[in-house]
Amino acid sequence: MSEPISFVIPVKRILTPEDLTKWGESETYKKLNAFIERLATSIKGLTNEAETGASEIIDALLAMLDGIETILSQHPVVEDANTSRFGKVEFRDFYDDVKEQVVGLLAPIVQIYQKTAYGDPTVELAAYLSESFGNRTRIDYGSGHELNFMALLLCLDELRLFVPEDDKALVLKVFIRYMALMRRLQREYWLEPAGSHGVWGLDDYHFLPFLFGSWQLYTHPNLRPKSIRSQDMVDMFHPKYMYFECINFINEVKNVPLRWHSPMLDDISGVKTWAKVAEGMFKMFKAEVLGKLPVMQHFLFGSILVVPVGISEKGDQDDDCCGHSLLNTWGDCCGIKVPSAIGASQMNKQQGIKPIPFD
Amino acid sequence: MLDLDKIIQDVKECRHVAEQDVLELCLKATELLLDEANVQFVDTPVTVCGDIHGQLHDLLTLFKTGGECPDTRYLFLGDFVDRGFYSLESFLLLLCLKVRYPDRMTLIRGNHESRQITQVYGFYDECVRKYGSANVWRYCCEVFDYLSLGALIGGAGGVFCIHGGLSPDIDAINQIRLLDRKQEVPHEGAMCDLLWSDPEDVPGWAISPRGAGFLFGGNEVAKFLERNDISLIARAHQLVMEGYKEMFDEGLVTVWSAPNYCYRCGNVAAILTIGEDLSREYKIFEAAIQDATSIPSKKPVTDYFL
Repeated sequence: MSEPISFVIPVKRILTPEDLTKWGESETYKKLNAFIERLATSIKGLTNEAETGASEIIDALLAMLDGIETILSQHPVVEDANTSRFGKVEFRDFYDDVKEQVVGLLAPIVQIYQKTAYGDPTVELAAYLSESFGNRTRIDYGSGHELNFMALLLCLDELRLFVPEDDKALVLKVFIRYMALMRRLQREYWLEPAGSHGVWGLDDYHFLPFLFGSWQLYTHPNLRPKSIRSQDMVDMFHPKYMYFECINFINEVKNVPLRWHSPMLDDISGVKTWAKVAEGMFKMFKAEVLGKLPVMQHFLFGSILVVPVGISEKGDQDDDCCGHSLLNTWGDCCGIKVPSAIGASQMNKQQGIKPIPFD
Repeated sequence: MLDLDKIIQDVKECRHVAEQDVLELCLKATELLLDEANVQFVDTPVTVCGDIHGQLHDLLTLFKTGGECPDTRYLFLGDFVDRGFYSLESFLLLLCLKVRYPDRMTLIRGNHESRQITQVYGFYDECVRKYGSANVWRYCCEVFDYLSLGALIGGAGGVFCIHGGLSPDIDAINQIRLLDRKQEVPHEGAMCDLLWSDPEDVPGWAISPRGAGFLFGGNEVAKFLERNDISLIARAHQLVMEGYKEMFDEGLVTVWSAPNYCYRCGNVAAILTIGEDLSREYKIFEAAIQDATSIPSKKPVTDYFL
């Protein structure tokens, strides 16, 4: 058995462009990148239904996601409870419930870890898992939340819970299960796109299903990037390939042609081969997700995914809510009520560098 | 010599406007805006519009709904750019109308009229894509710095217009006049709050989940109305499914003018006409039907995939 690690509550640390530069040179950055590249290449040419083999940890992760789906079913949207706002406030009940049950949800995974090691990583895993489904206050979801789910898997990888044979299943079973859950959350609670670039981004919510999806298609003999323009092709292939699932979802949600609402996807459909798309997705992921301050400001660092060396001390700008009772419809944060105008302007003056706000 | 009518026509038809023309237009607009107050006085009747976010075809519907400028006097509450396909064209159209009919068009600044925010939410990418360089984006950002922060419609008992909302640093509208507005939107302080804050059912003030500005409650609105002898705060900044939403005993209204926001939200849009007697008339409109054949010419793919 190895030495016990002392686990800590992960916190946000990246705040300035200088921090972001250090992040880009850090060990954690390299690990995260390498992990995602390793997973993507493991499913090269494979469909969603490809044989992956089973393992205890994969089953435990799937059971965990099933458990979260059960929680989702317990919090249906009450019709007409709130018409003015886009996002549905019942999402907050779901979020709170996941947070409340997170220790139990992770227990089978932690038990697998504890067969061969001392210590209890629950506190770190819980932080990433809880933030994998969107922001409670703003009722929104974006590629940063998606990244939290990958961070959770990377933690388990760092804790040596996976064997190389698990890689395929991590994408084709676990990630696809996560995507199905996210789609249900997005549909059910009308999650708002977090930090969306509107038509000028790849997608309102996700990045990785496009990345993994293009690797699935890398070697396909017939399908081409331009095949996404045909609804027949999309209908036929969306159950088999993540990339087509994404296009199908967008076509269902948006009510004008792809070219209007997703010029970037339409552009990519003009690329000759999936190989070029797949390689490009790696570059784009590094630049548009891992290289963007508005996303990485929210990334959590603990003892497993350690903070980059030399990053500014002032961090953990916790802008998130802690689950106080809801008095309102628009979003009430943290119960940190500032009692007076004077108090508020004082607070305003005390803060130094602030994270880029949410529009 | 700048041919405004031609640019207006080109922009409405989504035709490319020469970089040099954009520069000239921006310089002209800046000259005008330079003379405007931080809080512009606007006469009644006037039609108040909320966020546009580059939805040009919906902006054209807005003008059909409210009447063309200059026949109708307009006040736009900011957030012209980001997210939509035609942020540049939408902003240029409004600027053309401003330069052509200065007294019939008032534009105030939204939180998206900022260098930092446009680099995150799409307008920067759009300009680079359409022009191959960031020059046009830079010209527009220069104009953003000169936009007024707010407007006051009518005299006593009138309407105070602002993109976001109130600031704990501002009790009286006159205090806004003291700000030096000609700068990038700061991360904190009064100018930031006016563009970022949101109304909310809170007592007094609360931290905003946006990470900028504050949440302000009904009592703060009541105090502000009373102290400044106005009857209404008209603001935008938040998507409202019904297009507009009055709060706090009708002392505040949110107006949202981007229908089916981002091609997916399914919301309607609204504009608010303030009459000579300060009456309020809301008009609702829906998203324009996009003609698949009118799609702009294809551009090369982004560098990642070359």
